[in-house]
Amino acid sequence: MSTATISTVDQARVPAGTGNDRSAGHQPVALVDLLDRLLGAGVVLSGDITISIAGVDLVEVRLHALITSVRAEMRPTDPTINRTQPRGIVR
Amino acid sequence: MTEAASYVYLAARELSDDAVTGVTGLSDRPLRLVRNAGLTAVVSTVDLEEFGEDALRRNLEDLGWLEGVVRTHDEVVNRIGRLTAVAPWRLATIMNDDDRVAKLLDTWRVELTESLERVEGCSEWSVKMYADLSERPAAGSGATEHETGTAYLQRRRTETARHADAAQSATVAADQIHLTLSQLTAASRRLPPQDRRLTGHTGEMVLNGAYLVADAESQQFTSLVEELGGDLSDARLDLNGPWPPYSFATLESGGGG
Amino acid sequence: MTETKLPQRLESNKDSVERDLFRLVLTIVELVRQLMEKQAIRRVDQGDLGDDQIEELGTALMRLESAVRHLREQYDLSPEDLNLDLGPLGQLLAD
Repeated sequence: MSTATISTVDQARVPAGTGNDRSAGHQPVALVDLLDRLLGAGVVLSGDITISIAGVDLVEVRLHALITSVRAEMRPTDPTINRTQPRGIVR
Repeated sequence: MTEAASYVYLAARELSDDAVTGVTGLSDRPLRLVRNAGLTAVVSTVDLEEFGEDALRRNLEDLGWLEGVVRTHDEVVNRIGRLTAVAPWRLATIMNDDDRVAKLLDTWRVELTESLERVEGCSEWSVKMYADLSERPAAGSGATEHETGTAYLQRRRTETARHADAAQSATVAADQIHLTLSQLTAASRRLPPQDRRLTGHTGEMVLNGAYLVADAESQQFTSLVEELGGDLSDARLDLNGPWPPYSFATLESGGGG
Repeated sequence: MTETKLPQRLESNKDSVERDLFRLVLTIVELVRQLMEKQAIRRVDQGDLGDDQIEELGTALMRLESAVRHLREQYDLSPEDLNLDLGPLGQLLAD
């Protein structure tokens, strides 16, 4: 149900360096590690979910926008509440 | 449009022609060499339809395409890397033609030579640390059916605090391990933690370290990592390598350390 | 070294569409629940709530947690299934 698009943060085109004789043999590198190194700035998955049925994209949920608005709603404190009696949870 | 360009994989000092005889790279096209300024670049022809600026922007967002290109690029770097010290380029360095590639070698001659010297006889090793921060309710606190609302909040507060403490401890441990390994290696870097959706890993990745280790000292290094990992509780170390030191000679990183 | 899983578009067929939608909804509900709980604890620590308020708040959140857990189990979803990895926004729930 979810797809991922990748935003590449940077596409540097400068040389890197390496050594020779990795006598232990070439170990297969995980794709993510390769991407981090060859793209130069890490791979970021954008937080979107696309719901599709029978190959038809129907709903796209932009999680970033959703989270941001939820976060804004959580802003605390009504300034009129009386604060003279601090108390924590009764133990 | 069938415009073509030269894709650059890496630079090395000297390479003989037969290092690339019969070897193919991207798009199944043969590798070739471009020599200038005492350096040798390994290149192959790519189509601008696929690797031109607009096409690239599109293709780089396609994980399937990206995987194919990255794997091929890495294969070439590793193959040549077994023969001599190489300075790999990052993905998608594309020059209009081989003359421009030659110019590139000349422009970056000093930095490339420095890079090659720095990483001569060394490889990159990756050490990742995963911490288990899953919240475990304390024994005997599971009687939630008869719990009052106030007690519930108190319990959640304690659990949350415990989780925060565990996260803090894990961070401190990760920093310590990175410091220890950094002091014993030619160079080191911390890379950002990786997205779980890409790696499928369990636990929190609190360290994604890259270390430049002289091949002659690799045994010592791996033993040390094993030892450090053995001392951890609620966390584990994941060692990988040896790899070409991609992280260690880019001009941006200044060679790490 | 584990195989890297590549994210894919997972086709919902008509049988699993209910479960997939449910998972999405529950994931968001769980996110909001965690934020609310965090906020409630913060408010209690600030000391500007009366005992009755704390009790009411705690009870409501406790019931919500229980409800989400039951719904999750009903659809055979693990806590990890609801775990939104928000990437850079992951810090939201981690602090």
